[in-house]
Amino acid sequence: MSDTPTTLKSKTPQAHRPVTTESPGFRVALIAAVIIFLALLLFAPLVAVFAEALSKGAIEAIKSLANPEATSAIKLTLIVAAVAVPLNAVFGIAAAWFITKYDFRGKALLITLIDLPFSVSPVVAGLCLVLTFGANTAIGGWMVAQAYPIVFALPSIILASMFVTFPFVARELIPVMIEQGRAEEEAALTLGASGWRIFFTVTLPNIRWALLYGVLLCNARAMGEFGAVAVVSGKIRGQTATMPITIEMLYNEYLSVAAFSLAAVLALLALLTLTLKTLLEWRFADQLAAAHRP
Amino acid sequence: MRRPLINRSPLPGMALSAGITLTLLSLVVLLPICALLLKGATAGFPALWTEVNTPRIWGALFLSFRLSFIAALVNLVFGVALAWVLVRYRFSGRRLLDAAVDLPFALPTAVAGIALTALYAPNGPFGAIAKDLGFKIAYTQWGILIALIFVGLPFVTRTVQPVVEEIEREVEEASATLGATRAYTLRRVVLPMLAPAAMTGFALSLARAVGEYGSVIFIAGNIPLKTEIAPLLIVIKLEEFNYVGATAIGIAMLVISFAILLLINAIQVLSRRRIGYV
Repeated sequence: MSDTPTTLKSKTPQAHRPVTTESPGFRVALIAAVIIFLALLLFAPLVAVFAEALSKGAIEAIKSLANPEATSAIKLTLIVAAVAVPLNAVFGIAAAWFITKYDFRGKALLITLIDLPFSVSPVVAGLCLVLTFGANTAIGGWMVAQAYPIVFALPSIILASMFVTFPFVARELIPVMIEQGRAEEEAALTLGASGWRIFFTVTLPNIRWALLYGVLLCNARAMGEFGAVAVVSGKIRGQTATMPITIEMLYNEYLSVAAFSLAAVLALLALLTLTLKTLLEWRFADQLAAAHRP
Repeated sequence: MRRPLINRSPLPGMALSAGITLTLLSLVVLLPICALLLKGATAGFPALWTEVNTPRIWGALFLSFRLSFIAALVNLVFGVALAWVLVRYRFSGRRLLDAAVDLPFALPTAVAGIALTALYAPNGPFGAIAKDLGFKIAYTQWGILIALIFVGLPFVTRTVQPVVEEIEREVEEASATLGATRAYTLRRVVLPMLAPAAMTGFALSLARAVGEYGSVIFIAGNIPLKTEIAPLLIVIKLEEFNYVGATAIGIAMLVISFAILLLINAIQVLSRRRIGYV
């Protein structure tokens, strides 16, 4: 008789685990497996970049960054990003406005074409640019005759960086602008606002965080692009060697500290991008496309 | 009745936005891709075929695709596990892990390439352990595989994560009340809901890995027929000024990426038909 309550008692603690979760042992094992996987694959390389850069001390690392080859690479990368990122931002805003504010046939096709660079290998992208603007093509030959070569010069590096980052801003803005609809802009229109005024006072405040998010990703990718730039740049030292290209050249010459110091600069940029991106996601999740994806 | 090409809208800026969109899209993306296809068309199919039809190029294409497929499979398993852990479990450092998942998107591929090589080369910390075990990672296909897993890592997690967040616990509770064990519920109730998103992530990761160049070439060793990937062959052909050869491989890779793109669309259409959402 007195047995029954005791058995009930001993069973109660187990019943507290909700049926929608796994046993504690399984949970710990899964978390551990995931952390080990990420530690070996993600965190270790990141640590390795800084460890190798500082392997001969911080002074040596900083000295290698002051070397003319490195400074010209940093300068070139900044110039490329300064041209490519704003152009892609303008494109992204225009494309998002065109796609979300009007109804026309072929919209799905247009979106597919904008997304196309995501599925094309960067090397193939570079090849396409060489075949379009190379010195032995109609356009490229004419430009060389005018003393403004495109391939193996700055324009092709900018074009290559734009190609690979082309969809970033548009992709970020389109879902947000679809969500927000057209009512606010139309209301502004009935109140007599001009097109630019509507954009700057109604649309832009609504999309600014999504725009910043897209620009951040676009910038990180543009500064770090390797494959497409490697094909079109010609890798001329001090002239067309961007930071990633210079990293490759230094690495192949066994200048490990110099290569990893430059790599550490780009890794810091990546960490900064991730931090800002994460902060944006925490603070403005409701205004970003990531929150609206199904 | 046919829909008109463009519906009239009172909002201004249509001509401007359409102009900017179409001009930049044509100049930066469409014109170059058309140039590649045009180059292929003028060379003619037989010429392209002779260029591609060599053991070295078949070897590279097959190697790229095979290793990308394995890497995408690894990412499929770990991506789903990672998405589940990040959404369902609470532990310290979870937000850090969540933010770190995007590292392969943000870290330049050349940086990832030299960093992985430094780790997994025989004189690196991980490579040394492997060497003691009589095993070589960098400069073999294992090295390529690690680089490809690295670049494809975020795709599955990022496509599956929102779906895990959407799952209603009631469904799992219903399964439990009907007597299913937790493992059975996961296998028969939860996994089928995650499958379409997981497959989309798998295909995205595969597409990315097939075209990957920067992170692979440092760790690969680049030995013809053994560790030479297809994108590298394009670079080699271009350095030899063999534009027809480069075009042939470029078109072959374009075809592979479009096939994967079609696969992604097919998965989405199919799953929408079955479940109603992706």
